[in-house]
Amino acid sequence: MKIVVLFSAGRHPASGAPCPVPVELQALRLARDLAGADEVIGLHAGPVDGAPLDALGHGLGRLIHLRMAQGDDPLPALAQVLEELAPDLILAGRIGQGGEDGGLLPYALARRLGRPILADAASLGAGDDGTLTVEQALPRGARRRVVLRLPALLTVHPAAAPALPFTFAAARRGTVERRDIAPAPAAASEMEERAYRPRPKLIARAAPGASAAERLKAATQAASSGGRLLVDPAPEEAAREILAHLRGIGVLRRRG
Amino acid sequence: MSRLRRDPRAEREAMRIAGGARPRFSREASLPVSARPRRDPRAEIEALLVPGGTRPRLDRLSRGGVRPVRDEATSPSESTVQTRIVTEPAFLVAVVPDAPGGRLTPLDRQLFGAAHLLAAGGGAVLALAEPGHDDLAGVGADRVGPLAAVADYDPEARAAAVAQALESLNIRHALFAETAEGGDLARRVAARLGEPLFAGAESLTPKLVTRPARGRRVEQRRAPPRLVSLVADSVAPYGGASCEARAVELPAPVPTTGAILSAEIILADPATVPLGEAEFVVSAGNGVSDIPSFLDLARALRATPGASRMLCDAGLMPRAAQVGASGTVLGATCYLALGIAGAPQHLQGITGCEHVVAVNTDLHAAMVERAGLAIIADAHAVMPALIAALEDEP
Repeated sequence: MKIVVLFSAGRHPASGAPCPVPVELQALRLARDLAGADEVIGLHAGPVDGAPLDALGHGLGRLIHLRMAQGDDPLPALAQVLEELAPDLILAGRIGQGGEDGGLLPYALARRLGRPILADAASLGAGDDGTLTVEQALPRGARRRVVLRLPALLTVHPAAAPALPFTFAAARRGTVERRDIAPAPAAASEMEERAYRPRPKLIARAAPGASAAERLKAATQAASSGGRLLVDPAPEEAAREILAHLRGIGVLRRRG
Repeated sequence: MSRLRRDPRAEREAMRIAGGARPRFSREASLPVSARPRRDPRAEIEALLVPGGTRPRLDRLSRGGVRPVRDEATSPSESTVQTRIVTEPAFLVAVVPDAPGGRLTPLDRQLFGAAHLLAAGGGAVLALAEPGHDDLAGVGADRVGPLAAVADYDPEARAAAVAQALESLNIRHALFAETAEGGDLARRVAARLGEPLFAGAESLTPKLVTRPARGRRVEQRRAPPRLVSLVADSVAPYGGASCEARAVELPAPVPTTGAILSAEIILADPATVPLGEAEFVVSAGNGVSDIPSFLDLARALRATPGASRMLCDAGLMPRAAQVGASGTVLGATCYLALGIAGAPQHLQGITGCEHVVAVNTDLHAAMVERAGLAIIADAHAVMPALIAALEDEP
């Protein structure tokens, strides 16, 4: 099975230095566990190859770097190379860095390649006759097991297995193939950029202008919605009421 | 901002009435019109007044976005009318709520608040949701577009239906929730329509949306595009009059052939799921000393066990189970508190819980006040009754 892992131009969150995006290294590990080291190719489109070079040390044997100017649209070049390579599976991080950081590229790429896309893969298993079993990470620790027909494109969730450790020998062994691509200027965007300023989060029903004690009370107690009160019921009646209430909310699972 | 400097002599010359021996002036001649709107300090003070209390108190802090959105379509004279009705909307703002299992999440309600911000000036809010939702009119849907229910997990079919609705109804803005499912849907729709998506907006006004980018170093801002996905707690939910939620015809969905062969949900094991992620938490406090019975109850309810600081300090429960400001802040849907009075630090830990059930012997405990269902009884009597009631069920 041939797998291509997409790498973006990650930046370290604290220092800002080029470094691979952690979830993309996790994707690399998933790919290696599924197909072995020889079948995995890394693909990166960007002006410099600083960040994905580190991925070589995390177990990537071959990296294809599509050199393009800063601010170009990587989509046409990626689509062209992926059509050439024709991998069974394409893995990407959840939200890549270097562009708008919106996580839209895997979807646009899947659309252009005509492949199905599935988000938030946490583990992969090979199925029989060209299928793949994907465990998709859902909120609150749940999983969804999806059987998917290949070829496909998956984005990987941070709940996947941790990345392989960096080894210097592997980083030396790995090869990088650089290709120059035709410039494809990105469509003009009316986006304006400023230094980031954290915005105040909406506090749950904070009473405007109340004193500190009242604000604390509002933040901690205001969510009650005219609660029911039962004083000294029989234990059986209390249990019945609680179970009926929990069923109304929908948190109680049926036994099965 | 600097004001234009006035020239009083020129102004007086402009008011001069020609003729006559004595100089005469008319104030009625048009004064130079300033571009700045005239301030009304009394009305501003009036708006800042906090209702209630004996002394007048002014709130100068929370001006700007975080107030419940006032309904602008209904004029004050029609305040007796309970429903907001938009007969001929100038444009539509669509909301695509996540609504897992037909229940609107707090973020879904905030999406409706954001949609009402964008729909100010003659627009209507359209909810694109599968039928069988709870109260869409109450949360602020002027129109409801019933999406065809997708039986199995097929996100592409849902995206196709939403994209088709956006195209056919000529929708000006569409708001998605930036969650795992909603974000996935938004990106699919954006890829399908070939349009940019403003992903993860942190603030939203009719003129401006902002989002963090490049590792939260840069803030990107622009006028709201067609597709926006919104993070939680950035806009207040809609607080105006109930809306009519009139049904709108949507085009029939085009059948798609998905690549997904099968999908099954594997529920999280409540015993191992981290407390912060758990959906349903049962927690014991100082009023519970029978810990084995409490753990049996947690197992029977299939809930994640938690505890108050008192029990963790006493060594009866592990420190990882502590709920509160110095323990775990929960994101659970429901919290069942057994024998917990509700210290402020503990209540801070359950701020995010939508539903609270309390069992306590003290009628005046803070937890009883916070709870949606409060039972004044000894937890030791209720716990075995609950276990027995659960075992009796089929």
